[in-house]
Amino acid sequence: MLSRVADSLYWFSRYLRRAENCARLVGVNGQLELDLPRGLRFAWEPLVETLGVQAQFAQLYPDGGETAVARFLLVDERNPSSMLVSLAQARDILRSIRETLPQEVWFKVNHMHLDLQEGAERGIARRYRHELLARVVDGCLAVSGILTANVSRDIGYQFLRLGTALEQADMTSRIIDAGALGLIRSRLTDDAATIRNLQWMSVLRSLEADQMFRRHARARFAPAPALRFLLQSRDFPRSVAFCLVRIRQLLPSLPHYQPVERAVLRALALATDADAESLVEAGTTALMDEIQRALASLDDELRIAYFRA
Amino acid sequence: MGSNAIGSAWGRYRSSTWDELITTEGAARPAAEHLLAYLGGLNARDLGERQLAAGLAARLMGITFTVYSDGRNVDRTLPFDIVPRTITRAEWRRTEAGLRQRVTALNRFIGDIYGEQRIVRDRVFPRALLSKSVNFRPQCVGVKPPLGVWAHVCGSDLVRDGDGTLYVLEDNLRIPSGVSYMIQNRMVAKRVFPELFGTSAILPVDEYPAQLYDTLAALTPRPGDVPTIALLTPGIYNSAYFEHCFLAQSMGIELVEGTDLFVGDDDCCYMRTVEGPQRVDVIYRRVDDLFLDPEAFNPDSVLGVRGLMRAWRAGNVALANAPGAGVADDKVVFTYVPKMIRYYLDEEPILPNVPSYLCTQKRERDYVIEHLHELVVKPANESGGYGMLIGPRSTARQRAKFRDLILADPRNYMAQPTLSLSTVPILTESGFEPRHVDLRPFVLSREDVYVTTGGLTRVAMTKGSLVVNSSQGGGAKDTWVVDIEEAH
Repeated sequence: MLSRVADSLYWFSRYLRRAENCARLVGVNGQLELDLPRGLRFAWEPLVETLGVQAQFAQLYPDGGETAVARFLLVDERNPSSMLVSLAQARDILRSIRETLPQEVWFKVNHMHLDLQEGAERGIARRYRHELLARVVDGCLAVSGILTANVSRDIGYQFLRLGTALEQADMTSRIIDAGALGLIRSRLTDDAATIRNLQWMSVLRSLEADQMFRRHARARFAPAPALRFLLQSRDFPRSVAFCLVRIRQLLPSLPHYQPVERAVLRALALATDADAESLVEAGTTALMDEIQRALASLDDELRIAYFRA
Repeated sequence: MGSNAIGSAWGRYRSSTWDELITTEGAARPAAEHLLAYLGGLNARDLGERQLAAGLAARLMGITFTVYSDGRNVDRTLPFDIVPRTITRAEWRRTEAGLRQRVTALNRFIGDIYGEQRIVRDRVFPRALLSKSVNFRPQCVGVKPPLGVWAHVCGSDLVRDGDGTLYVLEDNLRIPSGVSYMIQNRMVAKRVFPELFGTSAILPVDEYPAQLYDTLAALTPRPGDVPTIALLTPGIYNSAYFEHCFLAQSMGIELVEGTDLFVGDDDCCYMRTVEGPQRVDVIYRRVDDLFLDPEAFNPDSVLGVRGLMRAWRAGNVALANAPGAGVADDKVVFTYVPKMIRYYLDEEPILPNVPSYLCTQKRERDYVIEHLHELVVKPANESGGYGMLIGPRSTARQRAKFRDLILADPRNYMAQPTLSLSTVPILTESGFEPRHVDLRPFVLSREDVYVTTGGLTRVAMTKGSLVVNSSQGGGAKDTWVVDIEEAH
């Protein structure tokens, strides 16, 4: 496998997963906002911080607000992490490696891209947004499905899986942090416990984890077990630990992987050693930042081992 | 079948020249009978729907070429017209034989030019032309590529004049493109007219990638092993990038860019892979000679691979087409192809050249200068339809400019009569209208010679235009070689 192609496969799956998470994040929270009890307010700004693009946002949309956040996170070409830009990046990369993956992947991604280009403006209006985001999520999952069903488990496939897993671990840590920063705020003297529960519910739902969590927990909802689930579950495919364990398991199919494995184990230790109870009390930001840095150095190791030309 | 059989849709259709589907009397030509009767039975709405479906299919398949405009590269879909061009199998057999003969002679010529230069010594081909050829590569002198083949892939452009004669307009021996459109156009046409493919004997075109693979694999310097073959592309901003992907994918070979390759101290060529360096045996290069190797040619090239010429000359890697093959697709050298056929093969040319005037010869040059208003003047080494003068459409000022250009550098110009290129109907908003076309078949040379079934029909979409190049607003059609004996 060419180093350049391996690099492209890795980034293609990262961008695809990023777009999907982004669509889900905005979609779920838009729904959630509609269900909030009177007196509670949804704070959209943490979603922007989640993706680390608050500076651009403040500059482009000084007034903020729900529509501005949705536009910025979904379809703004000036936001390097927007859903539209992530999909466009995935498509551009795919163009340069389209001989590597089944043609239907190209058809599907190309179709999503055209759909989004034509429907973006209308699609962010609240009436249509849900539908647009559902199409993007479905499209991304359809591509994942095609890849799973139709791509040989050769070395190239391992780079696709690496990209998906690493991006998901990263997005999960970011969404956890957004939730902890407080997506829901109260105008009244608050019932802190209620708000906190709602916040963690929204985090779970943003990661499509609420149902799986409930089946797993079989108890009254509480934030710490939810956080533990998202960080440490070995069964839920979007948990940080699950993604890192998956990376570790596929490494032996790659050549000279030892430095990469060491970086995986460092990141994995951060997730598994975390104490959810105290994080819920004291805040998750420090740990999530640390996890993101560990993931960034894992990305560095991959580049040194396989992508550097 | 007479003119009635083709339906009223064709009643008003008139071409000012030879039409590939319909005679001047308004009757269907033999290979088009079935098609025209069928199209005649569709109403405007049916036709519109099919044209729309074709456009959609092309868009979804991502059939594009890249053009540079407004400071950014954009993907354009090649305009596709649903009405195919038809050719009888009998005519195609003869054309195929003519191309086989022509490309065989061209390969002998290139080998001779970089070898003994017998044709020059025997005074059939003037030495002066060679010394001024911009495509002659001194770096290639003395090299003996495998099987003696230099131009493994040739795309020859054929045009038909008003009297029905099929001429060769030029041979592209460097990095001819368009074959992927030929294959994809057929995929689109099958979606649009599944009924016709069921009932007519339309010969398939999809074996090309397998034939190309065999052509390339035969060149490996390490016979016995499964060869590692790569297609070298300039990258995603090249106008033919879509084709590079398509071919690499269809053949299951690696698509590489210059930075993916390097030549080691052992003069072998390697790819950079996640496992480390892997040796490459054959490179189907779609990068121009001068960008191929900064060590041998353009030192600023970032598209190529340093040392590649060294590896090629040492016989450690095969290049297709071989560097230097372009010496024979110079438009002035072109005029000598009939002589080459007689000289190397001792045969009469089956396909005629478009008649040409050489500006190096005084009498012909004088004629050209006096008749600029009725001739097409071409520079020797441009492609893509650039730098030409189309006399009948030119202004006095343009003609004056070309007069000066020719007198300043006669070797660099040749002229041809303005042919009234044949037409094929296209579907427009006001029904069927004639548009001019050419035809580019692709010829593969190895121990034997393979010719595509038909080729790429390019069509000038603008009324009256003679320029079919995709870079200048041309479109494409599917090309059907029809076995009429079998169909009846």
